[in-house]
Amino acid sequence: MANSHSNHPAHLQHHFVSSEQQFDAAKMGMWLFLVTEILLFSGMFVAYVVYRTWHPEVFLLSSELLNPFMGGLNTLVLLASSFTVALGIHYAQKDNKKGLVINLVLTFLFALTFLVVKYFEYTAKFEHGIFPGAAFDPHGVSHGVDYAMYNVPYAKQFFSIYFVMTGIHGFHVLVGMGLFTWITIRAVKGEFSSEYYTPVENCGLYWHLVDIIWIFLFPLLYLM
Amino acid sequence: MSHAEHHISSIKTLTIVFGGLVFLTVLTVLTAQLDLGAFNVPLALAIATTKAALVVVIFMALKWDNKVNTAIFGIGILFVIVFISFTLFDTLNRGDLTNTTKGTVQDQQIQAEKLQAQEPDASAIQFNRTPQ
Repeated sequence: MANSHSNHPAHLQHHFVSSEQQFDAAKMGMWLFLVTEILLFSGMFVAYVVYRTWHPEVFLLSSELLNPFMGGLNTLVLLASSFTVALGIHYAQKDNKKGLVINLVLTFLFALTFLVVKYFEYTAKFEHGIFPGAAFDPHGVSHGVDYAMYNVPYAKQFFSIYFVMTGIHGFHVLVGMGLFTWITIRAVKGEFSSEYYTPVENCGLYWHLVDIIWIFLFPLLYLM
Repeated sequence: MSHAEHHISSIKTLTIVFGGLVFLTVLTVLTAQLDLGAFNVPLALAIATTKAALVVVIFMALKWDNKVNTAIFGIGILFVIVFISFTLFDTLNRGDLTNTTKGTVQDQQIQAEKLQAQEPDASAIQFNRTPQ
């Protein structure tokens, strides 16, 4: 069927020999993109590692202000969303449209939950003057915690790293929600099947990477 | 069509991996409560790496995928390791190069002795001490 123009599947573009080659090319492109994403985040992990090795006691003290319950909850939410995305691909491969759509919607809802929890975390910090950069000015008392106690040299750097890393990660979650909206609409229209589900596969790969970044951010920022 | 080649992970496999990831999350929260001294961070990183490996190998299906994708991912990780370790070669050893400022080592020793005379408690001149 490789050279036939009349009876090739609708999704197969002319410059590919087969659906299989098209799928492999798209997926390899996605992995290359994921490596650039890993390198983007690794720059921030380097900043974390350098400041942490220089001022370990400041990082230990400052991380007390982050809420490990909220961070742990968000870890479970993202793991669940990775699970639903993997299930979605399983159903796409089995031509189960209903299973695919349900799992894509669940993934979207988990992503939304993650950002809502993050919103409450950020506002709780902002209320006490914990901002990234020059605006850093911890003050006030809540739940027996005197925030002014945490205004030590280099605490500002810890929270700048926290806000930049979780902020850029959060932006990726937002992008993921946009992608899953797009994929869900296409799935409802019945555009995917076991013959063609490349966009579902690649959005899934992207989403798993967002999950992996958080898997490292959670213990490093909240628990250590 | 060669779609039979695409690996389909069973729901059972995916569920077991999800359960494992939840278990490891609980484990990392619990072990963080223990005071293991210098081992807290390596342990947390080991658990996080195990979780990431489960996601990459099973959820992202690298185990059954075209080997070129494993190579791309592996090279990416290799460069992250180079990035972090070579930066640390610099930043962890900067204290050894304090005499790169203006003035000689002798000048600096005289300066340090003057400071010591003003403030006998050595711990008090550490600029990054934690508050009592």
